[in-house]
Amino acid sequence: MNTIARVGIFGAIFLVTGLFSAAWGWVRSPYMTEVRVVKPQPVPFSHAHHVGDIGIDCRYCHTSVEREAFAGMPATEVCMNCHSQLFSDSAMLAPVRESYRDGKPLQWTRVHDAPDYVFFHHGIHVSKGVACERCHGRVDKMPLMWRENTLHMSWCLECHWNPGDNVRPPSDVFVMGWKPGPGTPSQSELVAAGHIRSQTNCSVCHR
Amino acid sequence: MLDNTPSPFADNVSPAPAASSGCSGGSGASMAASATTRSTTPFPIRIADPDALVTLNTQTRARMPGTQWKSLEEYESDPEFLARVQKEFAPGAEWWIDQASRREFLKTMGASLALAGLTGCTIRQPVEKIIPYVQIPENMIPGKAQFYATAMPLPGGAIGLLAESHEGRPTKIEGNPDHPTSLGATCTFSQASVLGLYDPHRLQVVHHHNRPAVWSEFTGALEGRLTLAQKNQGAGFALLTEEIISPTLQRQLRAFLQANPQAKWYQYAAWESSNATQAARQVFGAPVTARYHLPNADIIFSVGADFLAEGPSHVRLVREFSARRIVNADATANMNRLYVAETTPSQTGAKADHWLRLKPDDVAAMLIAVAAELGLDVGGEARTAKVKEAHQNWITALAGDLKAARGKSVVIVGAHMPSEIHALAHLVNQELGNIGQTVTLVDPINVVPDQTPGTISDLTQAMEAGQVQSLVILGGDPAFTAPANLKFGEKLKSVPFTAYYALQVDSTAQLVQWRLPATHYLEDWSDARAEDGSVSIIQPLIRPLYDGRSVHELLAILSGQKDVTGFNLVQETWLPGFGNDAKKLWEKALHDGVIANSAFQPATPAVKGEAAAALKQAFAEAPAESKEFTVVFRTDPSLLDGRYATNGWLQELPQPLSKLTWGNAAWIGYSTAKDLGLKSGDHINIQRGDVTVSIPVWIQFGQPSQVITLQMGHGRTVEGFKTVGVDVYPLRSAANEWVTTAQVKPTGKRTVLVTTQPHHNMEGRHLVRSGTLKEFQDKPNKPGFMTVGLHHGGGDEHEGGEHGAAEHGTEGHGAEQGGHAHDAAHGHEAVASKRDVTPHHGHPAVIPEGENQNPHYPEGGPTFYEDWPRVGNQWGMTINLGACTGCNACVVACQSENNIPVVGPEQVIRGREMHWLRIDSYFEGDPDTPDVYHQPVSCMHCEHAPCEPVCPVGATTHSSEGINEMTYNRCIGTRYCSNNCPYKVRRFNFLALNDPVWQLPVLQMAQNPNVTVRSRGVMEKCNYCVQRISAVRIQSKMENREIRDGEIRTACQSACSAGAITFGNVDDPDSAVRKAKEHPLNYGLLTDLNTRPRTSYLAAVRNPNPALVSTAAEDHA
Repeated sequence: MNTIARVGIFGAIFLVTGLFSAAWGWVRSPYMTEVRVVKPQPVPFSHAHHVGDIGIDCRYCHTSVEREAFAGMPATEVCMNCHSQLFSDSAMLAPVRESYRDGKPLQWTRVHDAPDYVFFHHGIHVSKGVACERCHGRVDKMPLMWRENTLHMSWCLECHWNPGDNVRPPSDVFVMGWKPGPGTPSQSELVAAGHIRSQTNCSVCHR
Repeated sequence: MLDNTPSPFADNVSPAPAASSGCSGGSGASMAASATTRSTTPFPIRIADPDALVTLNTQTRARMPGTQWKSLEEYESDPEFLARVQKEFAPGAEWWIDQASRREFLKTMGASLALAGLTGCTIRQPVEKIIPYVQIPENMIPGKAQFYATAMPLPGGAIGLLAESHEGRPTKIEGNPDHPTSLGATCTFSQASVLGLYDPHRLQVVHHHNRPAVWSEFTGALEGRLTLAQKNQGAGFALLTEEIISPTLQRQLRAFLQANPQAKWYQYAAWESSNATQAARQVFGAPVTARYHLPNADIIFSVGADFLAEGPSHVRLVREFSARRIVNADATANMNRLYVAETTPSQTGAKADHWLRLKPDDVAAMLIAVAAELGLDVGGEARTAKVKEAHQNWITALAGDLKAARGKSVVIVGAHMPSEIHALAHLVNQELGNIGQTVTLVDPINVVPDQTPGTISDLTQAMEAGQVQSLVILGGDPAFTAPANLKFGEKLKSVPFTAYYALQVDSTAQLVQWRLPATHYLEDWSDARAEDGSVSIIQPLIRPLYDGRSVHELLAILSGQKDVTGFNLVQETWLPGFGNDAKKLWEKALHDGVIANSAFQPATPAVKGEAAAALKQAFAEAPAESKEFTVVFRTDPSLLDGRYATNGWLQELPQPLSKLTWGNAAWIGYSTAKDLGLKSGDHINIQRGDVTVSIPVWIQFGQPSQVITLQMGHGRTVEGFKTVGVDVYPLRSAANEWVTTAQVKPTGKRTVLVTTQPHHNMEGRHLVRSGTLKEFQDKPNKPGFMTVGLHHGGGDEHEGGEHGAAEHGTEGHGAEQGGHAHDAAHGHEAVASKRDVTPHHGHPAVIPEGENQNPHYPEGGPTFYEDWPRVGNQWGMTINLGACTGCNACVVACQSENNIPVVGPEQVIRGREMHWLRIDSYFEGDPDTPDVYHQPVSCMHCEHAPCEPVCPVGATTHSSEGINEMTYNRCIGTRYCSNNCPYKVRRFNFLALNDPVWQLPVLQMAQNPNVTVRSRGVMEKCNYCVQRISAVRIQSKMENREIRDGEIRTACQSACSAGAITFGNVDDPDSAVRKAKEHPLNYGLLTDLNTRPRTSYLAAVRNPNPALVSTAAEDHA
């Protein structure tokens, strides 16, 4: 009996550690974070095609990203700006045409979805030089949209604790695949020029 | 009031509850301190040692100068109350005791609980949709609020507003700075109107004989009736409306009545009184309305006028009044002086420098006496004999002040005072040269040209005589509010064709054939005049939620116009007058919220010569003395005449002075209650003629003896809504709408009143500081009344002994604070200076090292709290107690802005009201003639917050800008933070109080999307409207500039008509809040606890007449 008891206690430590590790891994796994998981959408919209191939600027569709909290989702009429003439008979775009015809909006599945108790403001980040690809990844290489980063609070804090590492000149915010060049200001210059003072108070995001 | 709730604890008749709760040996013997201990709570309280509680309370109260108290239970040291407030949370707070409501809750929640279980299975974030527009409206940015100017029609005139709209639905009301009756502020009714729009009890579709129908059916039926009536030029057709202040509706009604000359128009509104108009006709020969202007008024005499709280101009008047109450930091001031003689203690009276509370006849007599003293020959010696005997000094002093302020004084008479008193006031104002200065006369705004409406008595007679074949009623619930002796509801049933246009299915709707769904002002096109005549176009913020039509569209149907919209009709009224620039002026009017130059020019009618003589005749006889009680009716400060009965925000709003919620009670004076052996909650039968109403009493300090005040509007029946309160309308008759006499008898029945007043105990702390202007000017650096009470504790024997009530005199406001006399006499000044080495004032909120406000630790208070980094603006707030009138607009504004739930009466009794901001009322002096102070209290955002270190999960932290933050998603509900808070400003969600929001989509629309909607188990509290701070901070950062002072306005600050709340950056030496904090009158609450609150107060300063100071016992009725 003593042996069983001792082995049991000795093993319990490994068991508990194992359970915690499993839980830790589980929470950070793509199953839970949905990183690089493609979600079904009403129309298989390809950022790779529209941004990568054709070169449409982010702001053509996401119109309020520079000034407002919400980046903006394009209304059906924005799609129809082009698709009333291009691929106007395509079966793949039928839901878009139906939406425009019937006045019923398209119901996209949300990919970048912070919990309801998080209040995120796009405008302040974009205007201070946080690039689209910093958080959303190389969207111009995504045939279908997925989440590149976990959007966990720890991930947000990594940048908030060290904004200099994560900003670029505001004029280059919408560029995909940007690399700093010889004329790019240094990190401390960027922070100074942008008056960047990233906040880590709770109430900045949680209210 | 819970007498129709099947709660096991509702009716407590005997002192038994104290005994039955297992208290040993206490309850029977130690009743010495209070008359009885009839339970004020519906749950048992175990009182271990009542004597000790009572002794402690008596001692702590004695230490306090000025004998301030909050509730009757505190004043009388009621052991049950004292035991209850010892606990942070009410006993059984975690349990849902009320059987019936728990059953209901489980029933309604059953479905959603099951569903919640299913979705809970996915541990991952649930899949959410993001849904853009198909065609996005111009300038619409989801998440960004848009503001539209509109106006809310209210009794007597509209108030201009800005409505905040999120994604096409209004969520919050703000004042319109460009509108003359708003000046940027709002009242409680306008703040709460958003919930009225989303009220689940609204009538949604047309009803015909109680079954759903459509408008076309009604139109068809109506056409038939109209054709019939038009054979006789409209004979037999009648229209009953409330007051009409919409020019478009006036135009339409006129056209209808001209097309149908035999049709009749009747007008009735429960809150209305024709006395003022009658008086104007008598004095000026024209029905002009008096408007008051207070910027230049040095002396204000209110005769039963609650002008700071009631009436269409009260928001403007509060602003003007408060501007003249400002006392500068160097003690200079241009203060006005307010004398109030009224019956029911009101908010205006609470701000008075001299306050008399008398029977209605005596109030009238006061004006007659003052008029006589001013030299007006109006007789009335018999009437004024009594008041002259009791209050000659008051009358002389007031008359002296008025004479010295010719053209700079004003006499304001309450709307419900008799017409002779209104007429006399006109003569007095005329005599003093005030007309044209502080009083202007304008044409009435509610006139339909060439038409005079009949009264409801006329209508009832016509119905009885069978002269009414078709009746259309536009709102007002007349079956509920009409004078009872007319039996309007019964007569209504005999009319062949009846239609009622209203927002809810109320008692009138039960008696008619057609119920027509009305639109709320936030969803239709209309227009309205403000009290000065200015016109605002009312523009909709949202399409009608249900099948409602605007009243203009209904009138168009009546006039046989098809396919016209409210928009067309309103444009028809105004575009022709705009001339060539019509479109531009129209859009400007919509943008500004008011049509430029539309205010009425002041009229200048001459006083008719025979007016004085007529009055002399009217005043010749003294009114008969009655042995019965005088019963006075008032519109309810929350429900008005009952129209807002289903508005949860207004029902739950603790009313000024009584703090009653969810129901009404008969206000009765302290001494009168003692004579009758009544406690608050005991029922009385009020009997007048053959009508008897049983209603619980509320002992209201300051209520004159032998006078009962009843608030109208409670006890209203609306389908789907559980009736609360007692309907007092049966006691009103057409002849005696505002004052009557009745017999009063206790019945022995008892109900628990739902009031928030006994939720806290002052415990001898000097929470409200107040003094006179003279005291301040005598010692501008450190007025005595600022430091009195700070050196408590430590067993000062003489301090305790001398502060009994008797020593302070029972003078109303004029007496020098008894405390100061004692201070000087007993050398408290010396004591103060010995201990009080650091100044308590002139002290910015950012406290440099070494300074503190704790007199016991002059070297710097010891603290184990860590310093937190201060970066950026440091937010702070001051609240000026001299300006605050206790109107509650800030409380409703906070509720609207921050998605604060309504909890219901059962929960309010348990102290679970969720208001982040509460207004405490404090009384001082004699219980029959006390002074009253209002103090708004919300989270103090202490720099050394006791709540922060004790949270086990770090849910409440301190931001680098000085805000005490609350992170709901971290909170696990230990409630330790609330335990530590000395101000008790934290509110805990014991229950899922926001469940109705999840269940009813229409309530979801009312929520502010910038603030989390909290669920069960989390703590919440004021956060200085951090969502507004964030928005402005982000905006300023994007624009690379500093935040301007005054750019951020918290919801409470924005709603306040008195401008009592100042908010801003305390580090900025030029900011308004910094200047306020450096004011000698600035003080913090409980600063000796070293919490260093960022919210501080400016002491209330009054300006009494020096001639009235020295006489004691002046203000006794």
